[in-house]
Amino acid sequence: MFKNYLKIAWRNLIKNKVYSWINIGGLAIGIVACLLILQYVVFEFSYEDFHVKKERIYRVQQNRYDNGKLATQWAAGAYAVGNSFKEAIPEIEEYVKVVETGDIIVEVNNRPLKIKEVYFATNSFFDVFSYPLIYGDSKSVLNEPNTAAISETTAVKIFGTNDVVGKNLPISGNRTYKITGVFKDMPINTQLRPDFLASYATYVGMNTNEDGSSPEDAWAWDGCLTYLLLQRGADPTQVEAKFAPIVEEGVGELLKRFNASVEYRLQPLTNIHLDANYMMEPAPNSDGKTIYLLLGIAFFVIIIAWVNYINLATARAIGRAKEVGIRKTIGSKRTQLIIQFFFESVLFNGLALLLALLLMLIALPFFTKISGQPVSYDLFIDAKFWFGLTALFVSGVVLSGLYPAIVISRFRPVEVLKGQMGTTSQGALLRKGLVVFQFAASLFLLIGSLVVYQQIQFMRDQSLGIDIDRTLVIKPPIATDSTFTSQKLALKESLLKYPAVKKVAVSSIVPGEGPGDNAGGIRLLTQDDSEQKQYRFIYVDYDFLNLYDAELIAGRGFSEDFGAERVNVVFNRKGIEQLGFDDPEEAIGKQIDFWGEQCTIVGVIENFHQQSLREAYDPLILRLNPDVYGYFSVKMGAGQITQTIAQAQTEWNTFFPGNTFEYFFLDEKFNDQYKADHRFGQVFGVFTLLAIFVACLGLFGLASFTALQRKREIGIRKVLGASIPGILGLLYNEFALLLVIAFGIAIPIAAFTTSRWLQGYAFRIDMHWSYFVLPFLAIVLIALVTVSFQTIKAAMANPVKSLRTE
Amino acid sequence: MIQIQNLKKSFRTEEVETLALNKVNLSVEEGEFAAIMGPSGCGKSTLLNIIGMLDNPTEGSYKFAGHEVGGLKERQRTELRKGNLGFVFQSFNLIDELTVFENVELPLIYLKENKSSRKEKVMKVLERMKIAHRAKHFPHQLSGGQQQRVAIARAVVTNPKLILADEPTGNLDSKNGLEVMNLLTELNQEGTTIVMVTHSDHDSHFAHRIINLFDGQIVTESKNRAIGAII
Repeated sequence: MFKNYLKIAWRNLIKNKVYSWINIGGLAIGIVACLLILQYVVFEFSYEDFHVKKERIYRVQQNRYDNGKLATQWAAGAYAVGNSFKEAIPEIEEYVKVVETGDIIVEVNNRPLKIKEVYFATNSFFDVFSYPLIYGDSKSVLNEPNTAAISETTAVKIFGTNDVVGKNLPISGNRTYKITGVFKDMPINTQLRPDFLASYATYVGMNTNEDGSSPEDAWAWDGCLTYLLLQRGADPTQVEAKFAPIVEEGVGELLKRFNASVEYRLQPLTNIHLDANYMMEPAPNSDGKTIYLLLGIAFFVIIIAWVNYINLATARAIGRAKEVGIRKTIGSKRTQLIIQFFFESVLFNGLALLLALLLMLIALPFFTKISGQPVSYDLFIDAKFWFGLTALFVSGVVLSGLYPAIVISRFRPVEVLKGQMGTTSQGALLRKGLVVFQFAASLFLLIGSLVVYQQIQFMRDQSLGIDIDRTLVIKPPIATDSTFTSQKLALKESLLKYPAVKKVAVSSIVPGEGPGDNAGGIRLLTQDDSEQKQYRFIYVDYDFLNLYDAELIAGRGFSEDFGAERVNVVFNRKGIEQLGFDDPEEAIGKQIDFWGEQCTIVGVIENFHQQSLREAYDPLILRLNPDVYGYFSVKMGAGQITQTIAQAQTEWNTFFPGNTFEYFFLDEKFNDQYKADHRFGQVFGVFTLLAIFVACLGLFGLASFTALQRKREIGIRKVLGASIPGILGLLYNEFALLLVIAFGIAIPIAAFTTSRWLQGYAFRIDMHWSYFVLPFLAIVLIALVTVSFQTIKAAMANPVKSLRTE
Repeated sequence: MIQIQNLKKSFRTEEVETLALNKVNLSVEEGEFAAIMGPSGCGKSTLLNIIGMLDNPTEGSYKFAGHEVGGLKERQRTELRKGNLGFVFQSFNLIDELTVFENVELPLIYLKENKSSRKEKVMKVLERMKIAHRAKHFPHQLSGGQQQRVAIARAVVTNPKLILADEPTGNLDSKNGLEVMNLLTELNQEGTTIVMVTHSDHDSHFAHRIINLFDGQIVTESKNRAIGAII
């Protein structure tokens, strides 16, 4: 029996090539799109998933309130949090403290080697987390001061082998670490990916004051990432509730003076990657909303393909009705027919699956490029991939195959063999409903793509408020000593001698990254402690404002002409507004308390975008520090870029020997912030096009069958005098109404979703009617062209022929 | 073989109810060849469909080989039909995607006969219908007469007790039509009961009995004695 089913299914497939290609091609594209996005999403969800104790690990996240209002949210908190919480809360089994620190330099074969991703961590690190240690004892590896564990790659880079436990490693800054552990390179799907992990005991040793106060007691000093491992069965909400009195005891009195407060919350480790974007994140995270949006696209594409199958199979049912009638007449039961047509769905989906695998091989490198995810052909040996594929196949067979099988098998032989078979109004209504869904989904995706594209363009085109063009930035030297300031000034002088170099400035950070320094407790001298607020601040030298062409709106910039500028500050507009001034001029000459120093506001600059337009303007203070340690910004004139870089490197090696010369162009670096958005836009765009293409395939098929079904009607109308445009209008009208309904459905959903998405951006485009109307017109045009292929043919056909064949 | 009493069949649309068959009483004996005639719309095909268990009567009784068929569900009718009834249609109704052999084989597959038995029976009947040389061809590669021979082969391959023919020569020229009628006559002579709907006076003369329908009622029944003269 199955042989017979297979035979007839195959012959039908060959006979109706266009229909078969539409179905198999559409399903295959749907499967590929769905699998690619699913694997992207699965990867995003896989962050921190490898930790054996992940269900019990939480990060302690800090919220700061000023005057009762949430002021800042931090990934890191006070240094005393971990040990104090564990001491007081029995549900806490263990804690891990992690402190991020700057790059270090080691010497390998007399050449400097920079090591990035350097952290201090408590000894519990390897016990709580599941980062695999190759050499060393996970119970004691980071117990002692001046010990460190390093990654396998780093070990090989430095020592040429990974078996290096017991070796001493001198680093920049005259400190020598004893290597006590070597760990496997961190997987990509984790936030903490250290290359060099020094013991937290080292950090405590480095920061314990003569009076005995150490980071272990520091409640007013933060920047420490704290992770808690809860006891089995412990309720995180109950644990969280126990934090407040401990914090109150530690820092409550002090904060009250400033009318401030802090709150600590538990954040599940596995939620961090998609759900956290706080200050001092050790590495950038993804946006959960984006991931869910992509997941939605994946399902849209595959559902559109399944809808095609349902639509075409039921529309074609007329063609199969005779066969059903004959089979029933000569003894087939209905269940046998359901099985037969279900089997055809298996065949179609099976072939689509094979084609999908082939397409995957072709599409994978392209997808890797646009998604920026490290996807490789190893995917094909991943059980999860095959599970996903099987799930899609089974869902496809059931969802797309069952309904047509039931519909087709329902035909009554008396009617179909007499040729009395027409479409049932119920079936036609369902098909129309499904077409409306396809149109609405396509429209939604197109509107979404357009809004995403516009937002990305807006962010790229928007003036930053400062000039970052033709700006070469040299990263600060790591190996320095007390001569740094004089060497820095000498380097600046030397660079300025080159004709292509127009200006040079040094600052603690450059635009494009979040201001790492946060200053709490800032207030006007005339205000009391309770009115203090938090600001971001950047240390700059005399040339910074000039080099970046920041727009002064009141007062002046820093200048050597004014002598003791160290205690002078420049605010941005947001900063003086937070200070309580509406008019920038009013702020000039006012004095503030900056960590106990009295500083004078000498200038106010217009807000500029320190970071991507996703972020709102921060209240910012620029503080002059001629000794500032940081990045060298080099503003260049036209031409000779390569030559200038080479010259800069020569000078660098003269003044900062033993330090690697690392540079980047600021505009490129700044735009790197939009990489994730850009990638998302690309992925969204590509999959939207795929969805529309698949929907068009279905529409093309459906239009063909509609034209075929109405062949006789068209013939009669033409005989009676209908014109070709009149006939075309008749056929188009059917789809036009569906388009209008789809528009009505898609608009509110798209408007809601896109505005929610845009809310993630502090600076965003305003919604415009054209974002809805243009995609609608595009879909109308695409549908018109698709439907026209068959419709025009049908309208122009000789009626004698169509009536005779009837 | 067929006992029909007070059979009624009506079709209802939203606005009107049409009575297709009205109090039909008919019996067909085993081995008989009966022709049902009448103008278009008189209910011939409706009666044939009910006799063929493709449709249920609205009222009345229909007994096939002693079994009451009237109230049976589709599944039960299918079971009773299988192997007992063969159909021959005006438009042949072969499955386009199956070859001649596969079309004829299909009823045997539904009877769950094994492969070798199927092959033997199909080839035998195809040879008998003088179409064996076309076994691997598809319906569209055959002439109308050949297609109808295949349809008859499919109808008889299960050796049914009753063959129902709905205008079997309607789409054929006179030569092919005559061949088909001769085949049906042969089958009848071998013991198969045949009920045939026809418009053709010529074809009706092959039957033992002619039943005339008009407006859903049997108006006349007549015995036919002129078979020999036509052949």
